[in-house]
Amino acid sequence: MKAGEIVGALLATGSGRVGAVLLVVLVAVSLFVLVRFPLDFGPRRWNNPEAWADNPKAVPPVWTLLWSRDAVKHTVFEATSSGDGAANAGTYTFAYQHRGGGPPTFLSFAVSDVRFNARPQVITLRVERPDGKSILLTQVVVRGPRAGESPPYLRYQESPSRVNLSGDVEAALRVSTFLAQEFRVTASPSALQGDLAAAVFGVPLPGPPLAFQPLPGRYLFTVQVQAASPEDSVGSLRLALGGSAYGVMGTDALGRDLAMGLLFGFPVALAIGIATSLFATAIGTALGLMSGFLGGKTDLAIQRFSDIWSNVPLLPILVFLIFILGPRLWLVVVIMILFGWPGLTIVVRSMVLQIRSGQLVEATRALGASRRRIMFRHLLFQIAPFIFAQMIFFTPGAILAEAGLSFLGLGDPSIPTWGQILESGFRTGAVYVGYWWWVLPPGLLIVATAMAFVLLTLGLEPVVNPRLRSR
Amino acid sequence: MSLALTLAVRGLTLLGVLAVVLLLLVVALGSTGFSDRMLSAIVNEDLRGIRTGLAQTIRDPDKLEETLALRRQELVRFYGLDRPWYTRLPGMVLRVARLDMGEARNLRTFKGDRGVAELVQERLPYTVLLITTATAITTVLGLWLGVKLATRVGSLLDRIASYLSAVSYAVPAWWAGILLILLLAFKLRLLPSGGLYSTPPPEEGLARALDLLWHAVLPIGTLVLVSLGAWVYTVRTMVLNTAQEFFVTVARAKGLPEGRVMRRYILRVAAPPIVTNVVLGLAGSLGGAILTETVFNWPGMGRLYYEAIITADENVIVALTFMFTLLYVAARFVLEVLYVLLDPRIRYGRS
Repeated sequence: MKAGEIVGALLATGSGRVGAVLLVVLVAVSLFVLVRFPLDFGPRRWNNPEAWADNPKAVPPVWTLLWSRDAVKHTVFEATSSGDGAANAGTYTFAYQHRGGGPPTFLSFAVSDVRFNARPQVITLRVERPDGKSILLTQVVVRGPRAGESPPYLRYQESPSRVNLSGDVEAALRVSTFLAQEFRVTASPSALQGDLAAAVFGVPLPGPPLAFQPLPGRYLFTVQVQAASPEDSVGSLRLALGGSAYGVMGTDALGRDLAMGLLFGFPVALAIGIATSLFATAIGTALGLMSGFLGGKTDLAIQRFSDIWSNVPLLPILVFLIFILGPRLWLVVVIMILFGWPGLTIVVRSMVLQIRSGQLVEATRALGASRRRIMFRHLLFQIAPFIFAQMIFFTPGAILAEAGLSFLGLGDPSIPTWGQILESGFRTGAVYVGYWWWVLPPGLLIVATAMAFVLLTLGLEPVVNPRLRSR
Repeated sequence: MSLALTLAVRGLTLLGVLAVVLLLLVVALGSTGFSDRMLSAIVNEDLRGIRTGLAQTIRDPDKLEETLALRRQELVRFYGLDRPWYTRLPGMVLRVARLDMGEARNLRTFKGDRGVAELVQERLPYTVLLITTATAITTVLGLWLGVKLATRVGSLLDRIASYLSAVSYAVPAWWAGILLILLLAFKLRLLPSGGLYSTPPPEEGLARALDLLWHAVLPIGTLVLVSLGAWVYTVRTMVLNTAQEFFVTVARAKGLPEGRVMRRYILRVAAPPIVTNVVLGLAGSLGGAILTETVFNWPGMGRLYYEAIITADENVIVALTFMFTLLYVAARFVLEVLYVLLDPRIRYGRS
C-alpha cells in the first residue's frame, strides 16, 4: 500500500478522522509554542518564582468569574524607563476603578533596576480614594552606598525590591493611623495585617468587630520618585493589585500562569511520544527482520532475549533508574526505548517467517536478489503498514508512562510537563481543596493526546487487518 | 512439547526476567556509587552497636577508639567495601533478593520499625488486596459485558463500547482517581478521599472490616473503571472471532441452546487468547496500581514508592523495584499455568 492509500483508508473511518483532527491540533499548538516560547522556558520562567511574584496564587481562570459580582480583575500597573537610561525622577499615577465587589486580594509594589550617583532615591506610594482621603502606603528608600563601592551605584538589578503591602507591618501601621485620624476607628496593625486591602478600599463600619464597607469608585495611585541628581534612574515600577481570577487557565499555588505551563507541555508530550515510538519501533523492526530472516542462532538469541526483556515491568524499572541516574527527560525517553522494542520484535519475526516462505520471496531470490534487498525491499515493504500502525499504537504508552513518572515526583525539573503540573497540584493538596483548574486541564490534555493516537490506531485497523476492509 | 516442559520453559523465562532485573538493579547501584554508600551505612550501623557493647568493658577512650577502628577495618573487608563494586555483584544480588537492605531513612512501619524488609512486608498485603480484587471484579464484569456485546455487533451500544475502550486505554488510572476524588469525595462527600480507615479507626471486628471496605471502594472502583473498557472490548472481539468459526455454526445447526453454545463452544475456545490479553495488560495494571495507591493514600507498596521518592529513601526504592518485579513475575506465572491448563493443544502435546 502506498502512503496516500493508507491516509485515504484512515480518513474513511470515523475514529481515524477524529484522531487525525486531534493530531493536527496537537502539532499546530506545538509548532506555535516552539516558535513563541524560549527553549529554556523551564528554568528561566516556569521554575523562577520571581517571574510569577506579582500573580495571584491559586486562583481560577477569569472566565469562571465572568458572571460573578465579587470578581476582582487582576491589574498590574507598570512604568518603565525608555531604556536609554533616562532619569525618571517625578510622579507617576495609576488609576484603578473599584467596582464595589471585593477588594483586590493583595497589593504588591516592586522597584527594580535602580541607578544613582550620589544620594539614593526615595520612592513613595500613595493612594487617593474616591472620598478624597489619601493614604501613604509605603516608602522605599533605596539602599545607600556600601563601603568600597564606587558610583554609579546599581541596585535591584537581578531581583526587584518588592513590598507585599497586604502582609507588611509598616503598611498596616500606616493604615491603622489613617483609620484613627480620618474615621476615629481604632484598629490594631496586627488585625489589619493580611486584610489591608479591605481597609484601603473601604469605609469602616461602626462597632466591633472590625469590618469594612466597600467604597467603589476611582482610586488614584501616585508613585513619587525623589532623586538627587538628574542622572539617577529607576528602571521600572510595578504595582500589582491581586485579582480573584487570572488568565485563561488560572494559576497554581506559586502564582504560575497555568496556561503557559500547559501550552509548553504540548511539544514536550509529542516529542516524548514520537521519539520513543520511532526509535523503539525501528529497533524492534530491525531485530525482528533479522531474527525472522536470518534464522538459526541469531534467531534463537534474539528471541530468547526478547522473551525475557519484554517481560520486565516498565514502570518500576523506570522509577528506579530515573531515581538513581537523576530526573532527566532524555534519560526517560532512552529507557522507554530500551524497554519498548521487544514486543514488536516477536511479532515482526512471526510475520517475516510467514512472508519468507511465500512465493514472492522465493521468486525474488530466484531472480538473484541479494539478502539485503529481499529484507528491506520486499519483507519490510510488505509489513510497513503494520509497523506504521504499531508506531502510532506505541506513542500514547510512552506519553502516559512519562506522565505517571512525573506524577510520582520524578519529572525533569528543567522541562515542565503536564504530569508535573498534576504532581505539584497533588502534592500541595489542590485535589482535596477543590482547585479543579489545576488538576483537570493537564489530565484532560494527557488524555486527549493519548486519545489522538489510540483513535488513529483504530482508524488504521482496516489497513493492517485486510479482512476488515470489506466492512 | 509436553506440559511439564512447557511450564518449565515459561518458568525459566520468568526467572530470567527476575535475574535480568536483579542484575540491572545491582549494576546501576554499583556503577553510580550507591552500593558503596549503602554498605557504609550498614557498617556504621554495626559499629554503633559494637561501640555500646565495647563501652561496657573498655574504659580507656583511646583504647576504645583503637579497637573500633580495627573493627571497622574488619567490617569494611567483610562487606567488600575495599574492593571495586563489580567484585561484589553476587553479594549485592543476594542482598537485594533477600530484601536485606538495612534501614529506611525516614519511613517507618505502623509500629515504628525502620527495617526495609519489615516495611515492605507490611505494605505488600494491601497492594495484593487492591490488585487482586480489582482484577477479579474487572475479569468477571468484562466477561459478562463482553459476551453481551458480542451478541449485538454493530449496534449503537457496540459502537459506544468501541470508543469507550479507546478512552479506557488513554485515561491514566491515577488521573481518573483524582477526578473521582474531586467529584465523589470533595464535591458530593459520598466516599472518603483516601486512607485505610476513618479517624478514629473503629474497634476490631465487623465495623473495622466494613470501614476498610468503605475506603477501598474508590481505589478499586477507579482501577476497575479504567481497565474495564479495553477488557470488555477484548473479550467481545475474541468471542466474535470464535463465533464465526464453522464448528459454532454446526453447534447451532444441531439445535444446541444458545447458552450452551456460548459456554462450551465459544468461550471455551476463546479462553486462551483472552488469558494472553490479561497477561499483556498485567504490567499496565501493576503500574496503574502503583499510581492509584499514591492518589488514594492507600498504604500499599505503591504509596510507599511515592513516599520513598519524596524522602529520597534509596534503600526502600531498590527493595520496592525488586518486589514489584517479583509480584509481576509471580502473577505472570499463575497466568501461564492457567494458559497451559486452558489450551489443550499445549496440554496434550503436539508432535
